[in-house]
Amino acid sequence: MLSIKNLQVSVEDKPILKGLNLEVKAGEIHAIMGPNGSGKSTLAHVLSGREGYRVDAGTAYYKGLNLLEMAPEIRAREGMFLAFQYPIEIPGVNNTSFLKKALNEIRKHNGEEELDAIDFLSLIKKQMNLVEMKENLLRRPVNQGFSGGEKKRNEILQMAVLNPTLAILDETDSGLDIDALRIVAGGVNKLRSADNAFVVITHYQRLLDYIVPDFVHVLSDGQIIKSGTKELALELEERGYDWLVDKAETQA
Amino acid sequence: MAQQTNNFSNWISQQIEADTTFTLSDAVRSPSRSRLAEGIFPTRKDEEWRYTPLGQILESSPDMDSRSAVTPEFINKLKDAMPQAHTLVFINGQYSENFSDNQTHLENAGLRISRFSQLNSTQLQMVEETILNAALTDDNIFQHITLGLAQNGLFIELAQNVDTQTTLHIIHISSAQGDTSFTNPVQVVRCGENSHLKMVEQFTSLGQAAVITVPASYIQMDKGAGLVHYKIGIENNETNHVSNTSVRVAESGTYQSHQYLLGSKLTRSNLEVSFTGPDGHAVLRGIYLGDENQHLDMRTYMDHAHPHCSSDQHFRGILNGHARGVFNGMVLVRKDAQKTDAQQTNKNLLLSRDARVDTKPQLEIFADDVKCAHGATIGELDPDALFYLQSRGIGKKDAALMLTRAFAAEISQEIELISLQDYLQDKIAASLNEIVNASI
Ligand SMILES: Nc1ncnc2c1ncn2[C@@H]1O[C@H](COP(=O)(O)OP(=O)(O)OP(=O)(O)O)[C@@H](O)[C@H]1O
Ligand SMILES: [Mg+2]
Repeated sequence: MLSIKNLQVSVEDKPILKGLNLEVKAGEIHAIMGPNGSGKSTLAHVLSGREGYRVDAGTAYYKGLNLLEMAPEIRAREGMFLAFQYPIEIPGVNNTSFLKKALNEIRKHNGEEELDAIDFLSLIKKQMNLVEMKENLLRRPVNQGFSGGEKKRNEILQMAVLNPTLAILDETDSGLDIDALRIVAGGVNKLRSADNAFVVITHYQRLLDYIVPDFVHVLSDGQIIKSGTKELALELEERGYDWLVDKAETQA
Repeated sequence: MAQQTNNFSNWISQQIEADTTFTLSDAVRSPSRSRLAEGIFPTRKDEEWRYTPLGQILESSPDMDSRSAVTPEFINKLKDAMPQAHTLVFINGQYSENFSDNQTHLENAGLRISRFSQLNSTQLQMVEETILNAALTDDNIFQHITLGLAQNGLFIELAQNVDTQTTLHIIHISSAQGDTSFTNPVQVVRCGENSHLKMVEQFTSLGQAAVITVPASYIQMDKGAGLVHYKIGIENNETNHVSNTSVRVAESGTYQSHQYLLGSKLTRSNLEVSFTGPDGHAVLRGIYLGDENQHLDMRTYMDHAHPHCSSDQHFRGILNGHARGVFNGMVLVRKDAQKTDAQQTNKNLLLSRDARVDTKPQLEIFADDVKCAHGATIGELDPDALFYLQSRGIGKKDAALMLTRAFAAEISQEIELISLQDYLQDKIAASLNEIVNASI
């Protein structure tokens, strides 16, 4: 589904990703862990098409499409979704009408009929129960005045409504209390199917108790320096990153 | 200011010489006429006028030879904005009996609307007193043009304790063809004690001929009165519009102003509000939306002379192309105006490299126990917000449109008359749609 080869990306002439490889197949959940500043969010942003990044080398294909040449909205319409590490506030844009517009753009792209207000409302009500979000948040402008946890839940609500094929969750667990964590993980698990895939960026092994990954990767200094199964996460929790980073440096 | 001879001041002198039929007495007209006789117009060297290009006005010798016929369809479209309102229509400054609503039932409701030519002597006295009381701090030449050449005008009187459910919709249409035309509508509003009124002033044009519009409004609100005052300018690209509005709010009065400058070559709107007693409230809102070479100039002067009054201003500008916006807002808190709460916000969105805005929020405080704040921002569309919307599948143009509309909607959603809110939001959306489609 997603195939990244030797991806090298710089920001303002500073190399951030330094030859990253990643293969994600339908039905899989991949966790990416790694120290602060190692390039995890950069990877998520480049994959979703944010401006300001220069691709110096490498390729990224999604469903056989050359991802790096596509406008961000086309990537989204093709089923990609990024849950932002820091969801921004958009004053004046109503949460519900924004999400309805987004869903209908995606449906149009896929040759499906647009949902009218009534059908959309029943869909969104259903998905709100999934993430146990308060209804009044729907009537507010996107994320405006939301607490940190509410913003993260709103990301998951959007994901649940847009039902992506490939979802990248960038530290969606940070800032969530234990209950919220369980709810967010429950949302992911309900959406999970043989046809979609998740890339879950996190610092905490705890999340992976709820969302059980098929693979765990360690991203350090712009490269994946180790991949393994969920046991790797436990080991990282115990030993930190130093032993891996030192090893990678000696190898280099 | 410097003496200059220009076509426009010559034309004004001719009008004064030719005239015989002014309603207003010399007490009101003389000061204005002396000012006009000096023929002094501000230049770009005058601090208050350095951003405002008056060239096109000063080169004009207005002359209205022909006009297009105003059709009922044209009027009805304007009435759609306020289907329930009581409508008064002025075409090229002349009252239109045909298109205006019948007035009698309003008089029964305690609302009396008269043209200056219909005033009895008591009313005339009230009109003149209101005008004289309402001397503008900004003693600009344009209010003298309005008064010095005033042949007629509108007097709106609201009796005390009357809470009118009807909204007044005052429509000014210019329908000139060919040469530049000129209108100078004068409007005097008196709201009696504890009376409440909503009124919408709308300036519009039929056709593309150049127009100089120089309106002045003098509003006096007695104790406890409430007025919601909308001003909408959607005029053609050849219109130069310089307006002066003076509002006096007595004890416990509430004045709300919502100004929408959505079309013209140049608009300069000067709004002065002063409290003449304690516990008054003023809410001033406005949007200026400009494209191409438009110049939109929004000025407010908020005078707090009495304690326990509040004023809350929020103005937003959206500028594209080579358009230029100006916000100049003065809040004056005088020595006795303790417990004043004065807020002033100006936010601007520049959609093109060549658009520009000059913002000058000013606060002068001479009382010590007050709560005052002001601030101004100038920015572009937030790339992070654009990306957020795009990352959800919304195309870049649609995303830009959503964000610009949202920027304006934060002001327009405060319009309580829903049909008017819809009308204005549609107008704004249509302009933004054009802008975004052309620029992204
Ligand atoms: N716009 C930018 N300008 C300059 N440097 C940037 C920019 N964006 C990212 N960087 C740098 O790129 C590096 C990687 O940042 P990134 O946000 O991808 O890290 P991360 O792995 O997500 O870290 P964290 O765990 O703290 O979220 C950092 O050193 C960061 O400072
Ligand atoms: Mg990050």
